[in-house]
Amino acid sequence: MSPSPAVADAATSVTDAQLYLDGIPHERFAAMRATDGLTWHPYGDNGFWAVTRHADVRTVSRAPEVFSSAIGHTNLWDLEADALEARRSLIDTDAPDHTRLRRIVAAAFSPKSIRAWEHTVRAVAAELLDEFIARGGGDWVELVAAPLPIRVILDMLGVPLADADYLVELSNYLVEGTGDTQSIPPDAFGNTTDLRLLPFNSPASHAIFEYGERLRAERRAEPREDLVTHLVKAELEGERMTEAEYRQLFHILVFAGNETTRTALSHGALALADNRNVWAGAIADQSRIEPLTEEVLRWSTPVLHMRRTAATDTELAGTPIAAGDKVVMWYASANRDEAVFADPQRFDPDRADNAQFAFGGGGPHFCLGAFLARLEISVLLEEMAVRNLTLEQTTDVVRAPSNFVHGILSVGLQPGGGH
Amino acid sequence: MPSHEIFVLAIDTERCIGGGQCELMEPEMFEVDADTGIATVIGDGKMAQLRAEGLMDRCPGQAIIRVDADDGADD
Repeated sequence: MSPSPAVADAATSVTDAQLYLDGIPHERFAAMRATDGLTWHPYGDNGFWAVTRHADVRTVSRAPEVFSSAIGHTNLWDLEADALEARRSLIDTDAPDHTRLRRIVAAAFSPKSIRAWEHTVRAVAAELLDEFIARGGGDWVELVAAPLPIRVILDMLGVPLADADYLVELSNYLVEGTGDTQSIPPDAFGNTTDLRLLPFNSPASHAIFEYGERLRAERRAEPREDLVTHLVKAELEGERMTEAEYRQLFHILVFAGNETTRTALSHGALALADNRNVWAGAIADQSRIEPLTEEVLRWSTPVLHMRRTAATDTELAGTPIAAGDKVVMWYASANRDEAVFADPQRFDPDRADNAQFAFGGGGPHFCLGAFLARLEISVLLEEMAVRNLTLEQTTDVVRAPSNFVHGILSVGLQPGGGH
Repeated sequence: MPSHEIFVLAIDTERCIGGGQCELMEPEMFEVDADTGIATVIGDGKMAQLRAEGLMDRCPGQAIIRVDADDGADD
């Protein structure tokens, strides 16, 4: 430990999941940003170094040799060795495993490949918005924010649309797994695996694995032009991916492909309802949709943090870090860092250089779905603009009790209210 | 004196993760290969210094490297 580092206590802790029912504890993060060095944050049996400043998050993100994703785990809690191995995914690897796995899916998510999905995204967005308007509004999460990304990722994967609701339901249970309580029993979905061996300790992970296995068997028998067929081919080439790696990758694509963008679309819609002038400006001039998309990403920060583990003794912001220490990058804080973003608590798409870290702080774990998420957000905004759709909030926001995802479970919105 | 040095860029195929940032920023020059998932240079890889440095900084794998001779600073 450093010469007397700042230490978080009950009044300044940022890990209690219940805190997040009222939103991100921004004032606590601001206090940590203003404190010299890193803050030591007790957690479980030990604790972690809280990295809260934009520049420090960037440093950690870009030094995977020092701040490893593979040694410990990328969530806050520790895992026993067998659980770590059983749960290891693209997210919990370093080079060369990470490089090998990432390249299998890289081309499918490249900017040029993603552009080919614009027509699909636009058609889905148009359908959902027309339905939302026809109903006179309702739960924005259920009607628009959840179905848009899940339908697109499932189309990419080759999953039938009829199963979209089932996979959204499973994803919701995974989010619960990041909080304190799970609403389903350990043997839900026929699960017999020890929960600590499953991602998010959730039996829903078992169900997603099973679903992925079924799809894999179908595509082996009858290949198609979809992402699962591509993964099956990579798996058949043996050296590129194991069966367990396939399972974890499918799981990530389903979860990250819908949960994160759903969050961005929910916070984004609320921001538009709360900042009518901003939205009126974008409706009048659609060249402003691109910077608006970046501000929605900064504002929403769907993933609040990721953890690394120090591979060697090192130092950051003047604080010595010992090999084996947990180091947690709080994107939720970096995206409101007053050193980078003027008036950071203001929703402002006119920021000159919006260096938002919603996709991470750079480095090899830069969000795989970044270009897809941007496309989904910007196309939805464009389709709202052509419909001249303004939003008005009708019910309170119900947030997810999670320190990991910035989830909104439901929020009532309705069209109208003028500019 | 303003620098208009020209860098010649290539991809470090060990480091590249196929993150696609180069394809986004310089679609005429880079493309993530559909089979390997590794970025490839289309054309001669020549780019003005300032632009090249910005691109290299944004690469998530830190895999964009300069391959012109190190006496290239003499113009």
